[in-house]
Amino acid sequence: MMRGFLGMMGRMVRSVSTKGRVLAMLAVGAVGIVIGIFLDRADEITAEGRVDFLSNFGLTVFVPVVVVVFATATIGNLIEEKTLVYFWMRPVGRWQIALAGFLSSMLVLLPLVLVPMGILAAIVGDSNDLTGLLLASAVGVFAYGSIFTFLGLLTPRALVWGLAYVLVWEGFVAGLSRTAGWLAIRTHTTSVLARVSESLELIDRPTEQTTVFLITGAVVAAAFLLTTLRLTRMTVD
Amino acid sequence: MTTTPPPPSPAATDAPPPPTGSVVVSNISKWFGDVVAVSDVSFVVEPGVTALLGPNGAGKSTTLRMIAGLEPPSQGTVRVLGENPRSDRAVRGRIGLVPQQEQLFSEQRAIDFVTLAATLNGVDDPGEAARRALDIVEMDSDDTRPVGSYSKGMKQRVKVAQAIAHSPDLLLMDEPLTGLDPRQRLAMIELIRRLGEEETAVIVSSHVLDEVERLGSRVLVIAQGRLAAQGDFHDIRELMDDRPHRIRVRSSDARLLGSALLAHVGISGLTVSGDHELVVNTDDVDRFRASIAGAAMQNEVSLFEVQPLDDDLESVFKYLVGR
Repeated sequence: MMRGFLGMMGRMVRSVSTKGRVLAMLAVGAVGIVIGIFLDRADEITAEGRVDFLSNFGLTVFVPVVVVVFATATIGNLIEEKTLVYFWMRPVGRWQIALAGFLSSMLVLLPLVLVPMGILAAIVGDSNDLTGLLLASAVGVFAYGSIFTFLGLLTPRALVWGLAYVLVWEGFVAGLSRTAGWLAIRTHTTSVLARVSESLELIDRPTEQTTVFLITGAVVAAAFLLTTLRLTRMTVD
Repeated sequence: MTTTPPPPSPAATDAPPPPTGSVVVSNISKWFGDVVAVSDVSFVVEPGVTALLGPNGAGKSTTLRMIAGLEPPSQGTVRVLGENPRSDRAVRGRIGLVPQQEQLFSEQRAIDFVTLAATLNGVDDPGEAARRALDIVEMDSDDTRPVGSYSKGMKQRVKVAQAIAHSPDLLLMDEPLTGLDPRQRLAMIELIRRLGEEETAVIVSSHVLDEVERLGSRVLVIAQGRLAAQGDFHDIRELMDDRPHRIRVRSSDARLLGSALLAHVGISGLTVSGDHELVVNTDDVDRFRASIAGAAMQNEVSLFEVQPLDDDLESVFKYLVGR
């Protein structure tokens, strides 16, 4: 059955990583890197300013946007193309389709996110910033990735809803109160960067590392369960 | 220690045994909001070919989708090989589905697509099973082109190959003859008949009467979401032929021919429109066809055209539903 599972993953990865999508997201990363190069050459930039840029560009814009673009399409594309039926009608568990979707998202997203973020942090920050940004980005990929993979299964307008969540909730509402902020992934990814890079001024009362990992685990588990449940109950075209 | 079994309760002895068959559909209905797509349909399908016949939008695909488990019925139950196809994982491995939509994994080769299907179905040698299935549908398993570049007919055959690669006990085919050229159509009909003879239960949906006729199968006629008729194709055909017919006749003298035809047994109505055209209502179309030429000749009237006005499938279904 492992061969079948890998076959499903292969199809999902192929379906999601279209040339246009990959190039567009790499271009966004390249823009960040170019800005980072100019920032690095600026005389007046402080260490705090550098970490601030890594947080604002990397964790607020790049990671969630790249993840929403790819993860919503992992299973969402199959629904849109009406090819999910070729997996759904087989004697495989719904959880296996969900797991294939999650792993495909991660397989595509981890290199697509971590490589540009690594380059950016290496240019702009020090080794602590590099470790912090890579760790925070990985947390973001797992948390956003699982939520948006599920969202792709839930609605044909997942990309729009996902971007709305990133821009409206994470970008605006989360800043209005501590409770709302705690419900935003960005709070926790920024906390990781703040703690590892020892830039605690980045965020008010950053979440403990252990708590961040527990929250990420809980988000991934909940999204996985919901995806499996949705696959079990949905109508397939 | 011995035990005596309790006497059977009256309810147990009186109740009819539950129907058995490859597919048992009991009182299923399906509605989407206010729209009723399928209404209280029941039937049993045994091994062999069964055609689901009905006009477009009659509820054939919805019924087929409910049998496949893709869609839950709003009411009623579907059992495939004794199990619920929506929740039973093992039974899905015994179903082959040829969906209506054309889409496949477009950049994949046919052999890879069918091999993946066989692998997911747990076939021991998926590569060999895929080659065999492609061979059956007359597709080249060594073709290196992606399926996205295939014609509609070729895609259709690849869809059939992926559905039969694991030798299913039940094969569901939603309009499988669509897009095939006449030769491929003939080959597909032959394949369907052969699968039926090999004790596979094959359910084929179609809106084309002639296609179903050539399948020589049992027929379930679905119209307006209801099961309008079921049985052997020839019985259904007879039923269709027995209904009242409207026939337009164009001739050199419509009034004279009309008067002659009124004497003809089986004419239930006649309307003359203009000098050359009349519309005849008859319950016995065969007798009418046999006698019109003679009536025209006796009265020295030239016949230009004899055209049935309601031989399309839609009006046949309307008649069956309205019976």
